[in-house]
Amino acid sequence: MKYSYNWLKELSDTKKTATEIAKLITLHSFEVESVEKVGSAFEGIVVGEILEISKHPNADKLQLTKVSIGNDEILDIVCGAKNIAVGDHIPVATVGTKMPVGFEIKEAEIRGEKSFGMLCALDELGLGTDHSGILQLDKKTEIGATFASVINNSDEVLDIKVLPDRAHDAVSHVAMAREIVALEPARNASHSDAGGGGEMDYDYDGLVLENKKAKNLKVKIENNSLCKRYIGAVLSGVQVKASPDWMKARLEACGLNAINNVVDATNYVMLELGQPFHSFDGDVIGNEIIVRTAKKDEELVLLDDSKIKLTNDDIVIAGKNGVLALAGIMGGKNSGISNETKNIILEAANFKPLSIRKTRSRLGLFTDASSRFEKELDPNLAEKAMVRVIEILEHTANATFEGMVDEYQEKIKPWTVELSLAYVDKLLGVAVPLKISEKILTSLGVKVKIKKDVILAEIPTFRIDLKSQEDLIEEIGRIYGYDKIENVPPSVAVTAARQNESRIFERALKNILIGQGFSEVYNYSFYSAKDAEFAELGEVKHLELEMPMSPEQSQLRVSLIPNLLKNVKENLKNFNEFNIFEIGKVYWPNGEVLPEEKSMLVGAMVLKKKSAKEEKMDKRHESGFFEAKAAVNNFLAQLGIVDHYYDTFGGVPIETPLALWHQSRAGEIKIQGSEKSFGYVGEISPLVLEDFDINTRVVMFEFDMDKLSQISDDEREFTPIRKHPVVTRDISLLAQKNVRIDEILMVIQSAGKDLVQDVDLFDAIDFADDTSSFAFHIILGAQERTLTGKEIDDVMFAITNKLEKDLDVKMRR
Amino acid sequence: MLEQKIAQIKKEALAEIAAVESLGVVGELRVKYLGRKSEFTGILKSLKDMSEDERKTIGQLANLIKTEIETAFVEKEKELKEKSFDFAAEKIDVTMPAKKLQRGHLHPLSRIQYEIEDIFTSMGFEIADGPEVETEFYNFDALNIPKDHPARDMQDTFWIKNNEQLTADNKQQEKIVMRTQTSDVQIRFMEKHTPPFRIIAPGRVFRRESTDTTHDHTFHQFEALMVGEDITVGNLKFVAEQFFSKFFKADVEIRLRPSYFPFTEPSFEFDINCLVCGGKGCSSCKWAGWLELGGAGIVNQNVFEAVGYPRNKYQGFAWGFGLERLAMMKYKIDDVRLFHSGDLRFVKQF
Repeated sequence: MKYSYNWLKELSDTKKTATEIAKLITLHSFEVESVEKVGSAFEGIVVGEILEISKHPNADKLQLTKVSIGNDEILDIVCGAKNIAVGDHIPVATVGTKMPVGFEIKEAEIRGEKSFGMLCALDELGLGTDHSGILQLDKKTEIGATFASVINNSDEVLDIKVLPDRAHDAVSHVAMAREIVALEPARNASHSDAGGGGEMDYDYDGLVLENKKAKNLKVKIENNSLCKRYIGAVLSGVQVKASPDWMKARLEACGLNAINNVVDATNYVMLELGQPFHSFDGDVIGNEIIVRTAKKDEELVLLDDSKIKLTNDDIVIAGKNGVLALAGIMGGKNSGISNETKNIILEAANFKPLSIRKTRSRLGLFTDASSRFEKELDPNLAEKAMVRVIEILEHTANATFEGMVDEYQEKIKPWTVELSLAYVDKLLGVAVPLKISEKILTSLGVKVKIKKDVILAEIPTFRIDLKSQEDLIEEIGRIYGYDKIENVPPSVAVTAARQNESRIFERALKNILIGQGFSEVYNYSFYSAKDAEFAELGEVKHLELEMPMSPEQSQLRVSLIPNLLKNVKENLKNFNEFNIFEIGKVYWPNGEVLPEEKSMLVGAMVLKKKSAKEEKMDKRHESGFFEAKAAVNNFLAQLGIVDHYYDTFGGVPIETPLALWHQSRAGEIKIQGSEKSFGYVGEISPLVLEDFDINTRVVMFEFDMDKLSQISDDEREFTPIRKHPVVTRDISLLAQKNVRIDEILMVIQSAGKDLVQDVDLFDAIDFADDTSSFAFHIILGAQERTLTGKEIDDVMFAITNKLEKDLDVKMRR
Repeated sequence: MLEQKIAQIKKEALAEIAAVESLGVVGELRVKYLGRKSEFTGILKSLKDMSEDERKTIGQLANLIKTEIETAFVEKEKELKEKSFDFAAEKIDVTMPAKKLQRGHLHPLSRIQYEIEDIFTSMGFEIADGPEVETEFYNFDALNIPKDHPARDMQDTFWIKNNEQLTADNKQQEKIVMRTQTSDVQIRFMEKHTPPFRIIAPGRVFRRESTDTTHDHTFHQFEALMVGEDITVGNLKFVAEQFFSKFFKADVEIRLRPSYFPFTEPSFEFDINCLVCGGKGCSSCKWAGWLELGGAGIVNQNVFEAVGYPRNKYQGFAWGFGLERLAMMKYKIDDVRLFHSGDLRFVKQF
């Protein structure tokens, strides 16, 4: 809310500047977001006296004036207003003046007569909406004086962020002044030992409504839970006109437009004390007010001319002839104050916050009143505020108070919180002297009694937020000053922290990948429905955001791949070869309240784009798949995983559909002895890449982090170093295209039993007739002895025999 | 006579060594002059048949000459070995650029997160986790933010669309959200543990906010929670000071300002002195001398009650600070949106 410095100063009697107050409030109460000077400097506008007025020869509606602006300077100015006379003191904008409302004054010729300035009306000065005539200044004002010095409207506005815990009281100048007073150094000797603790001069808390019953007004509250209190006050003889300038200036400083003296007075008291009002034209609404819920589909035309349809949840103020106002939010068009109003009924009430909140959200009506009523207000505030507004209207509108009706069933009285003195120090970690605690609470309006080791704190009803001991400790702590609390090491047992295994695993894996040349990216947890569709995940049920920032970010990801593909596309603008990875959560709806969150690892490798010729040469080994496979083998080995194998894409796992991958260039990764895959590696389907607008091959690998971590075996076991030599024998064979290398390796292993220590493929050639030639090193050896020549020959015979028999290959000798 | 012979051998040997061109010939010459069947060795062998005087003079001379010839051989061998490889032919330009090795880069947020984890682990803090999609209960209610509480307006929330078709048994009565803070981890941890304990919980959080250079709808926080029977505001300040001084490798001053969070009482805004200007005021701290880091406070007793602890038995502090903010300060990053851009021009700088 915006607070006027002049106003706060008047209420608190502070000597501090606006900036000093801003600092004090920020450190002890609320964050002050800005301090701004208001009131225009009115540069170039001076006080002038009209010396002569004559008719414009060529225009009936214009007059020619001669105006003195001091220093013997006399200006000819053409003027259209009729409310001027010789001798008037008026504001004169001289040539070159930039008017507060925007335009610039230039030397002009108006219908053949020269004009060297402008006589100003209120609206031209940016001080109001009145354009009825030139602003008349007091005849005592000095000719040639600056206009700014005459109107004295300069102020500073503090924009202070009040949080929800104080929304019920602190959004008022009185409450903010109370904070300032509590924070001021003592004003008299008895307070000199404390950090704060003064008292306000004006007793706002003591305002009591004159008990004068209104004769012509009946108020009925249908349901007390919707409206705790309703004060209706009748005022007669009201003269609706403009408010005095000082009031207008304050309202405008706080960001409200001045309207008329009645509306302005209620707004003024709202800013002063925090209570919103509504004023009805007494002659229009009659003598009966009913607070009730609306009937379904009842209609109301609001002040802003909009027509709304009501529901049973809305609280309304009704008269004999139907709904008059939407309670606590906005008045009706026909029952409000007009320029002809003579008798008014003022409303100061207390409505159920939740109901106001629901209605204003449904109708989208965010008003000053609704924003206050939707937070819980003190019902006792209504009375104080009513006294103030009547007091003001008696002065500014000649109003006569005829009486009031106060419907207030369950009176809210101050409550008491018992605060243990020891607890104050124990929670804050600093010993606050009792005297100071006492004074701090007192200055905030709390009545304090000390009983042995406890403070009995009687809480004023306007501090709805003070309910527990901790609430009071916070008040003491902040006013005392958090800077006075020393940094104290906690005294706790020396215990080792439990290790977070999954985080340790994740970190180790990231470091391995980085060592292998992969860079880490972070993506949003969302993508668009289109992205899902492009990545062949369109059929998968996704969780969706209710109100996404944009359709681009509306689906909760079930895979990291779509966003990584977008990364690839973007990065291709700057790089032609790169490796990236992401480890992050994906969200699988699983029928439970919360989705299954799986931590996934996806790596993407983008290799330099090959020419068509290079592509042709690169039928088997050079394609990106094997680079990725090498990378995977490498990091799996570092994780202690060596007994894994690759299999062609078998089933179609829901989480990574086959169509996303290049059908002929993707595989599942499995662990020996299990048919279940724990990861995937392969090229992304060229069709998917096309959708993502990527024109080079992309290879990816994908792992479920939990599965990976389970398989990873940190405790590697030592195998004794072989003492006996190994021998290497080579074989070369010709196989049909459908024979997989994996199958050949398995046959060699099974035929050679435990004498085969290792098998390496060292050559592969594809022929035009769909056969391929492969050559392997077979490394033979035994742990406990040196193999004899016969043993070796026997094993090799067994191997070649089985290969020919099982796989129908031809050995090349 | 013998002396002359020895001198002659020396002269011949040195001349032949000087003229030799290959290492192989050096070996032959060595046999010829110093080998077992050489003339020189013959002279040495004959020493034993000589008189004592002769033996002395001849012996001395022979040994001297032998050393001299041996030295000549060694030097010649060295010289020839050096000549045997043509280094000049393999000359390279060492200033030519090296081949680029692919180097991976850790994302700056990971880097920051690990630094934080390491400092807190060294102080005995455990690292805890919680889900990113959270129930209304854990994200709000248990944290003392009941339905329709105005405090819910403080955090613009991404609610998940009610997907009844997803729940087989119509169980999804409870609304779910993208968690707006890591404080949900406090509740999940406390439900399973009894004080005393100290944890941190780094993680991803979400707010429905328009994005600009300092705001993003997705960001990271790290929650800290320390609970015991007598943990105070003074302890909060101490632990925070320890952490930030280690993190920034500088003496960091802590400033607490009043604030409001439903799950803490008292609640603070947490500032540290600006490390760029040392608190005097500069453009980094918008001339305030202080940098705002996040919210902190003393755990509200209502929160303890929500997890089943007796009221007023325990005390503890909690905070939630933004990782992005720390990363931006540490690395002078000027746009928060870069973190989730996937742009390698950004990541490769770390």
